[in-house]
Amino acid sequence: MSADTKKLKTRIKSVDSTLHLTKAMGLVASSKIRRASLNMYKSREYAKSLEKITQTLTACPECSKSPYMQVRDTDRLRLIVIAGDRGLAGGYNVNVFRLAAELEAQRIYPIGKKACERYGSDEIILAEKFGVKDSVELSKKLCEDFYNGEYDKLGIICTKYVSIMTQEAQLKLILPLEKSDAKSTGILFEPDETTMLNNVILEYVSGMIIAAVRESFASEIAARRCAMDSAEKNASQMIEDLQLEYNRARQGAITQEITEIVAGSGD
Amino acid sequence: MSVFSLTITSPDGELFNSDVEKISVRGSEGDLAVMAGHIPFMTSVKPCDFHIDLEDGTIKRGHTTGGVLTVSSESVIFLTSLVDWE
Repeated sequence: MSADTKKLKTRIKSVDSTLHLTKAMGLVASSKIRRASLNMYKSREYAKSLEKITQTLTACPECSKSPYMQVRDTDRLRLIVIAGDRGLAGGYNVNVFRLAAELEAQRIYPIGKKACERYGSDEIILAEKFGVKDSVELSKKLCEDFYNGEYDKLGIICTKYVSIMTQEAQLKLILPLEKSDAKSTGILFEPDETTMLNNVILEYVSGMIIAAVRESFASEIAARRCAMDSAEKNASQMIEDLQLEYNRARQGAITQEITEIVAGSGD
Repeated sequence: MSVFSLTITSPDGELFNSDVEKISVRGSEGDLAVMAGHIPFMTSVKPCDFHIDLEDGTIKRGHTTGGVLTVSSESVIFLTSLVDWE
């Protein structure tokens, strides 16, 4: 066998092992996607209900005095950046980091292994394992700091799950709260609107964080599945092309050998 | 005793959804109980042990880390981050 066919054989083997890897990763993503999207829908419902309550409260004129609705002159931004736990998910992580790089943040709270590694966090927080308790703890700290005037704006950079094929990196501004134009429902607040808003804010921020983490995780899995699907297609096509090239080279070598034998016997 | 629909929702989904007679929690102004026909109101709930009187007379107890209780004419919704059932 000539050196050319040997080289081709090695390449086919290497592409084949890559194909196995992408197939396995695609299958893992497929098995996780159902659970991830179910969790996303559950926390999305919760976040929506909280958003509705907060909108009812912010529509009340009394609530404009709340420290959580104060727009300050300074522009110190704190960001929660949610990226993936692993790579090989197409442009998922890159899109999040690109959006984060466009903004000037006073401090970044990374969630997801890739984000923790990028922003040099001491502790690695996995997006998959991020639970309600972690979210409440983070929310407590952020609300306290905002109340004490240590920063002026809170944003979350996460990925919006549009469909299994489409995911978009986005910035959600959480604090300060904006005045909504929701109509008054005549509902009674105990003890009053402002105290209620100040109490609800912890639940609201925590709910927004957990909903964003779960939506981002579902997006990561969906992005990985799509990336692995196309990688699988590319690898199969590559193997086909290489196999054709290999067969041609092999046939060429045989033909040449026969020609040489025939030429030799003719003497 | 007349009953009303109670839903307890957390980021992990719906934790409870059934017709109940009464729910007792610790509101921002002190302990309170909601029964059927209560006026629409909203309060924040402090971290506390709460209990629900079910239709069949049994009492379901749990611990919440706090949340928001919304009473409307149709139903009662309790939004909370975490609930530990006893």
